[in-house]
Amino acid sequence: MAATAPVAPAESELDRSGAEDEPRSAEPEEDAGNGQTGPTAGAQQQQHRLAKLPLSRIKALMKADPDVSLASQESVFIIAKATELFVEMIAKDALVYAQQGKRKTLQRKDLDNAIEAIDEFAFLEGTLD
Amino acid sequence: MAERPEDLNLPNAVITRIIKEALPDGVNVSKEARKAISQAASIFVLYATSCANNFAMKAKRKTLNAGDVMSAMEEMEFERFLQPLRQALEAYKKGQKGKKEASEQKRKEKKNITDENDKSRDEEEDEHMDDEQEGENEGEEEDAWS
Repeated sequence: MAATAPVAPAESELDRSGAEDEPRSAEPEEDAGNGQTGPTAGAQQQQHRLAKLPLSRIKALMKADPDVSLASQESVFIIAKATELFVEMIAKDALVYAQQGKRKTLQRKDLDNAIEAIDEFAFLEGTLD
Repeated sequence: MAERPEDLNLPNAVITRIIKEALPDGVNVSKEARKAISQAASIFVLYATSCANNFAMKAKRKTLNAGDVMSAMEEMEFERFLQPLRQALEAYKKGQKGKKEASEQKRKEKKNITDENDKSRDEEEDEHMDDEQEGENEGEEEDAWS
């Protein structure tokens, strides 16, 4: 009879600032096996194998916003995931323009075209170098 | 060196891999396009964060949560992301819970072992973890955003 008491809902990590330095990093992390170069040991946000983008980097970006005080670990994860979906989406949408130009190589101008044409990408207008 | 937030780049290798997996075989991506996508991704994070934070602030919360991000996606007209994000979140929560229980279990066992060592050093160490009951989302996260 080993049932441990139900763990408090994940949202209880609310008040830890982004849960960056989770004590449970004592657990050896399952190998995320991605291009992340950060050290596996120590204070780095644990890379969960469900996200390809490193949560630590995502979190650093989030913290750049002066209005953001704390972010739950889940929110960091979800933003990471959403960003991955975003990359997929913009790449595919840009590809349409490359194909129109009968090219097999995606170029910067294809990106620009997609950003101009697609409503969801309006927030990018004028932002890229 | 003062860094603009947009300079916080996401790792190139990962961005490239995501792009490649999204596109059919035989399609290449120029370096400039890759760089632009990477930059766009950073900006996406900033924008999504800001948007999500607005929801948190409206609710008078100091901590941004997953529900806020979901609301932000809707606001940003990325409804198509909602379903896959919900699924990913479920899987993530399960994973986190498993880890938490595992490390708590280990902590308990460590404590036991320490106690036992004080009594007798000959005890077999019961290092194995008992089968943990996979309580299916017992402490289910409130669906703030259904």
